[in-house]
Amino acid sequence: MAIMISIPAGITSNQASTETLTQNLSDTITQTEATINQTLTQIECTLAPNFEGFGFAPPDMGDSRFAPPDGDSGFTPPEFGGGFRPGEFGGGAFGGGGTTAMNETLYSDVSSLENVAAVTLTLEASEGTEQTMEMMGRSFTRLVPDYVIKGVSLTSALFGSYSILPTNITDGRNLQAGDIGVVLLSENNTAFFDAGVGDAINILDRSFKVIGVYAPSGVEDVMNLYMNLSDAQSVTNNTGYITSITVFAESSDVVTDVANAISSLHPELSIVTGQQRLNQLEAMKTNYETALNNAESTVAQTQSVAVQEIIVAVAATSLIILFVMLYTVRERTKEIGTLKAIGFRNWTVMNQFMLEGVFLSLLAGVVGIAIASVAAPTLSGLLLPAVSQAAFPSRFTLASNSGTLVSMALTPELILIALGGSMLLGTLGSLYPAWRASRTRPAEAMRYE
Amino acid sequence: MSETVLKLENLSKTYSLGKRSVQALSNLNLEVNEGEFTAIMGPSGSGKTTLLNVLGCLDKPTDGRVLLDDVDVTKLAEKELYKIRRGKVGFIFQTFNLLPYLNARENVELPMEGTKIPKKERRQRASELLGMVGLSGREEHRPQRLSAGEQQRVAIARALANDPAIILADEPTGNLDSKNKFEIVRLLANLNINRGTTIIMVTHDSQIASQTERLLFLSDGKIIKEKRGLHLAKKKLICQHCGSKIQPGDTTCPSCNKVLYQKGEQS
Repeated sequence: MAIMISIPAGITSNQASTETLTQNLSDTITQTEATINQTLTQIECTLAPNFEGFGFAPPDMGDSRFAPPDGDSGFTPPEFGGGFRPGEFGGGAFGGGGTTAMNETLYSDVSSLENVAAVTLTLEASEGTEQTMEMMGRSFTRLVPDYVIKGVSLTSALFGSYSILPTNITDGRNLQAGDIGVVLLSENNTAFFDAGVGDAINILDRSFKVIGVYAPSGVEDVMNLYMNLSDAQSVTNNTGYITSITVFAESSDVVTDVANAISSLHPELSIVTGQQRLNQLEAMKTNYETALNNAESTVAQTQSVAVQEIIVAVAATSLIILFVMLYTVRERTKEIGTLKAIGFRNWTVMNQFMLEGVFLSLLAGVVGIAIASVAAPTLSGLLLPAVSQAAFPSRFTLASNSGTLVSMALTPELILIALGGSMLLGTLGSLYPAWRASRTRPAEAMRYE
Repeated sequence: MSETVLKLENLSKTYSLGKRSVQALSNLNLEVNEGEFTAIMGPSGSGKTTLLNVLGCLDKPTDGRVLLDDVDVTKLAEKELYKIRRGKVGFIFQTFNLLPYLNARENVELPMEGTKIPKKERRQRASELLGMVGLSGREEHRPQRLSAGEQQRVAIARALANDPAIILADEPTGNLDSKNKFEIVRLLANLNINRGTTIIMVTHDSQIASQTERLLFLSDGKIIKEKRGLHLAKKKLICQHCGSKIQPGDTTCPSCNKVLYQKGEQS
């Protein structure tokens, strides 16, 4: 009975977790696609941080207290496939790698390269609290950001043609060329600062006026707070430093040429072109799609396994009730004979045995619910395929979907169905034994010892 | 007192055991008058129990008629038979057959289940009957807490629950020691004399059988001999409470007004 009740609970939670997962994955795919479309003419140049090990979330991602750049740092292109979470790329619109500060004057020559349409400089700095965490036996400090300052060079030439600022303004206005001392908040920022358009907020002991609020386009820009580059540099005490140069080529045909030119001019820069990025994103999209398919097939598998198991459990339960009741009737043949000898009607005898069977099954149902409410996760975990293991390569750590043990929903409906089901099975299972009892011929029953 | 309550005409019963068939009763004729205390004796397999089962409508004869108050019960459907089992006859078994999970009073109330008698009245009647068989104060005891003799008393009280015309007793003393044996047979005799209940009792025990007024010997499904036993009706009856003389048919003692049929009152 506990099995019968645990399995539907298991399916529900499996489904719930898979639905969340599926939702996350589809969101991520949509975002990825949107990013792909924007990216074609864009070239992202960052100074590669010098990682100790690869394949993990970079420590101190976008920390504002970075050291000035070390010109000859070991140059490794940021590799894709580090420890990211679905729906959350690393810092910034491109993410994937860490950010290291670079002196903006060193790179002013980039804008004069051939086929370069525009250059925008960005300083990105996260503000928040530090948290020490353990990963693979190593402990390091990670910044849990409250908000991310994005200083963008506000040049009139850039507006309109290139998307460097959020587009979906829900209140106030967007940043304009020459804006100083003002910020553009995301909707999530307004909650953190508890401020709206026209209010003054305090960022690193300096007061800024909220000029507008935007709706984030995805998980990657929920915490971004946009301001003029020069404001960002002075408020974070990084005057003259930037974290990335975004170069826009004249057309998508010359992107590779421009990238090569930048690369030969500044070999220390990590350059990701729209095409490379596109390939990475495509690969990522494929990855997510595979995961999505796996998750979906796991749900299908879970359901078919569950249906089989429920059929087996129901059949077994009915048989057990049938045999128990048959045994009871046999055991009490003499009693039945006596009852009939002293004038009990056939259907009174039948009623009595039916009632007994139904009551016993109901009791079993109650015990089953008690067991299931405690052991449902374990039971259904043993009996059903788990979403997380079946659907995901181990490197995808799903913070919100770790395994099937999310919450075993023993809803009142499920409990009622279980009780009703056990009563029904009790009725079915005792029907034949009770009928047999009522048909017992008293003279024969009395001889029975 | 000579009205016929039970008449058996050419009664036959054949059991088939695989290919073999056993003739348990063969062409048996018998008339039992109202108020008679009859004992049936005979060796094992002579058809005693089969006869009793047929009389009690627990089994159907292969041939012949059973007239109970001029009604041929062999023609009745199962739906009608339960009424006869419930109201006309009361059964007493060798092994008592009390329900172990019910107390004495509940066991006595059992035959009244499904009748129109109100709950309260059933309870009262059961207590009265238990008092009559000498078990006052033991109403709440379960069978396992009662001695064999006491259990058979409960069974007798149960048989009387619906005030039947005939009591059928299948070796009622078979599982009892000699002291209890005689007490039970005296209890039955008192019922017979004082209430006029017709009793047919199957027994192996000639001492017990001799306490009845009529003895039938059964062999191979036939009555081979009939004998008159002690005529209980001629015996002097005294009240156990005060020792004064009572008449057959009295339910309470005319001198002390106490309920009769108590344990050992028959002298």
